[in-house]
Amino acid sequence: MTSRSQARLGRSILLHLFLTPLALIWLFPLWMMVVFSTMPDNGIFSPGIELLPHDGFIDNFNNLQRDTNFVGAIGISVSVAVTYTVLSVLLTSMAGWALARYEFHGKGAVVAIIFGTITLPYAVVLIPQFIMVARDFALANTWIALIVPPLFNSLGVLFMRQAFSMMPAELFDAARVEGVKEWRIFLFVALPLARPMLAALAIILFLASWNNYLWPLLINSQPGAMTAPVALGTLIGLTKVSWGGIMAGAVMLTVPMLIVFVLLQRHFIAGIAAGAVK
Amino acid sequence: MRTQNATAYRFLTPYLLIFVVFWIWPIISSFLISFQATRTVPWRFAPAFNWGRLIGDPAFYNALKNTLLILVIQVPVMIALAIGMAVLLNSPLLKARGLYRFAFFAPVVVGEVAYSAVFRLMFSLDFGIVNKLLNSIGLPKVDWFSNVTPAMALIMIAVTWRWAGYNAIIILAGLQSIPEDVYEAATLDRVSKVKQFFHITLPLLKPVIVFCAVLSIIGTMQLFTEPFLITERGGPGGGTETLGLLLYRQGFRSLNFGYASAVAYTMAGLAIAITLVQLWLMREPK
Amino acid sequence: MAAVTLTNVIKRFGSFEVVHGANIDIADGEFVVFVGPSGCGKSTLLRMIAGLEDISGGDIAIGGKVMNDVEAADRGIAMVFQSYALYPHMTVEQNLSFGLRMNGNPKADTDRRVKRAAEILRIDELMQRRPKQLSGGQRQRVAIGRAIVREPQVFLFDEPLSNLDAELRVQMRVEISRLHKELGVTMIYVTHDQTEAMTLADRIVVLKAGNVEQIGAPLDLYDDPANRFVAGFIGSPKMNFLSAKVVDTSNSAAIIELVNHGGARLRKPLRDAFPAIGAEIVLGVRPEHFFEVGEGDCDIPVKADVAEHLGSVSYVYANAGPEELIVEREASRQRAGGDHFTVSIKAERSLLFDKSGARIR
Ligand SMILES: Nc1ncnc2c1ncn2[C@@H]1O[C@H](COP(=O)(O)OP(=O)(O)O)[C@@H](O)[C@H]1O
Ligand SMILES: [Mg+2]
Repeated sequence: MTSRSQARLGRSILLHLFLTPLALIWLFPLWMMVVFSTMPDNGIFSPGIELLPHDGFIDNFNNLQRDTNFVGAIGISVSVAVTYTVLSVLLTSMAGWALARYEFHGKGAVVAIIFGTITLPYAVVLIPQFIMVARDFALANTWIALIVPPLFNSLGVLFMRQAFSMMPAELFDAARVEGVKEWRIFLFVALPLARPMLAALAIILFLASWNNYLWPLLINSQPGAMTAPVALGTLIGLTKVSWGGIMAGAVMLTVPMLIVFVLLQRHFIAGIAAGAVK
Repeated sequence: MRTQNATAYRFLTPYLLIFVVFWIWPIISSFLISFQATRTVPWRFAPAFNWGRLIGDPAFYNALKNTLLILVIQVPVMIALAIGMAVLLNSPLLKARGLYRFAFFAPVVVGEVAYSAVFRLMFSLDFGIVNKLLNSIGLPKVDWFSNVTPAMALIMIAVTWRWAGYNAIIILAGLQSIPEDVYEAATLDRVSKVKQFFHITLPLLKPVIVFCAVLSIIGTMQLFTEPFLITERGGPGGGTETLGLLLYRQGFRSLNFGYASAVAYTMAGLAIAITLVQLWLMREPK
Repeated sequence: MAAVTLTNVIKRFGSFEVVHGANIDIADGEFVVFVGPSGCGKSTLLRMIAGLEDISGGDIAIGGKVMNDVEAADRGIAMVFQSYALYPHMTVEQNLSFGLRMNGNPKADTDRRVKRAAEILRIDELMQRRPKQLSGGQRQRVAIGRAIVREPQVFLFDEPLSNLDAELRVQMRVEISRLHKELGVTMIYVTHDQTEAMTLADRIVVLKAGNVEQIGAPLDLYDDPANRFVAGFIGSPKMNFLSAKVVDTSNSAAIIELVNHGGARLRKPLRDAFPAIGAEIVLGVRPEHFFEVGEGDCDIPVKADVAEHLGSVSYVYANAGPEELIVEREASRQRAGGDHFTVSIKAERSLLFDKSGARIR
């Protein structure tokens, strides 16, 4: 073995020695979530150290369903997240297309306002949004309240604007010269070409809606109108609830997303790396 | 390009409507509400009512202090950790890269409620796995929820766990955009790997790191769910109360919209200041 | 039927004017090439004709009808882009038919047109491939095919060959020429490559910094350029420019002295104007217009630096004082580096320009 490859091997071992424990620590909470979700409450609250799953998931799930209608809440969460994602992808890609590909009066102002307010904290709009939706429109505890206000997300617009402006302009000019209408150019040329970006955006938006907590907590607080995270959140801190049940709920919220993450990792990472979220 | 007002606005209007109604108008409205006395109907204009109270409110200073404390400690630690993760994940020597990536990036998809619940269980005093493990290696238990310092530490640990991988993804993308030949040239010039990191990697990553820092600061500044769910509404005794929690309490428990708006605008002010610092840091050298 | 007329056409981007009042008349069926260095406004002009850019001033008429406010699609034009602009997610067939399909053209007619274009360009075999699976030359054919199916009155080309390697470029050049003969429609072709312009054009429009410098048939521009810019731009290798001074004028001629060549003098007959005695001027001589000693009107000794041998001819980069000259020599007479030899200039094979670059005839 040459001294060069020896040095490489040494560095490689060092790297793995450092990274492996860190990775295990990072996975630990997720692992424990799964373990807890399979343990009865008296197992969770016992002095022994339990690191392996048991077989109590179904019991825990039944307990959870007894404490709150979690299945119903999951149904709301799924429907809301799907609708939100479709609408938001549509709105933001249309707006991104306009900003990337047309000259029009007021463009500078629109871009400036979007950019200028993008780092303002969401907290700033929380109260007026709440007053407007709950009081002025009387829409609290409806799906509309969950879906429509969060559509303002301007990072999606900037993401799609970026995506469209990176495409060669000649492509769209070619279609224009051929007499293709603008909305058809958008639908049949631009959108198909933006598929990877749309996928990234859709995943990120779906995740954001699925995990959204504060706004649904405020606006849809009635049992029967709650999303799954809100329903689960109401149980945390109560005394007479099943913690195994809460963990079963946490697993049901998390594991599907982990699977999606593994399957669509490339799009996920592309979306986050481009700053499409938050 | 030809000027195409009608077409452009046809594409833009649906989004703009939502944007104006649910973002721009609330930004303005919130500002106006912060100057109104909202305890009684009808609301009336009283500039000093909320802002005056804010300036003299110990609860506000407590929340501000906690928020800033978390910012100052948690964000740098997390960014440093994220840089480390990204650099190591990018190493050509790494085997089973996918597994490590999964480990660090997985928290990104975990919802705040789910992970808050897990952390609460893991860190509970008598039956939490963390204390059990501490005990098993001969260390004393920590009462994570009843003392302020451990409670703050817990919040920071939780947030770091949730967001470090997120930042690592962004930084990793930045790393991968640095052309390989820069390092090859440096290697031929006999620059050590460590020196390459400090003199090539870090300077080239600066924009990405500043971006991550700003994103993290603005996110952490609004911290709500973790102190709400993990440390039970900012406990112990307001020890982990944040601006986000204060806003929630004032706005949606006491329905004191004017005061809550003043708190919100304090956050906005901080965010604007931080953004300006970012712009200054990123300015083109003359 | 489809003549194209540009009258005082101006283009501004914001307050920055890039085309300063262009007047160009293109006859029906003519092949006109816009040529000029990069950034001179060729694409901008073409895109204004296509309807892809607003016109800031003046008029553009196609087939006698002013088109300033007519949509690109309704101008009866088709355009071939530099990057080919093929839709990457569609097959060749779909690329060719896309525009027609989107506009509800009857299917039978669409199929007929696509088939005809495919035959003309010999791309029948490629119809089910995607652009990624095509070579550069094949992509270029598809891009042209897409223009053909529109059956336009005017073809517009924006540097269509600049992404091809040298050999393909020559081949496609011939094909485009053939296409022009076959279809007989007006073609406007933009390039920065004067060879392309010379070989393709019925007439060439030379542009510089947003101004039309000269319009004319290729050989007219070559033999009788209006100014030093056109003289230098058209022809490869470039025309040589020798600094000179007027020492005398008489009998409808000027006596000039080549200041960098030991006071060599040349009597240059003039027709229109006589520069003042003492004026600094420039003498232009094409590389192939240096003759053997005694054959011309003025001999200058030079020293060969480098010789490039192309087979039939050689180009000698020769040094004479501070001026470098490119001299075309028959291959048998080529000189090795370091050789000294003398070349001879003929008055009727040289051009005079004043200091501003305008031609003195
Ligand atoms: N959309 C635009 N905005 C501003 N300036 C432009 C734009 N398009 C072209 N220009 C400028 O106009 C001039 C001519 O460009 P162009 O017509 O593309 O030149 P070329 O002769 O190389 O095709 C250049 O100086 C270019 O920078
Ligand atoms: Mg051009």
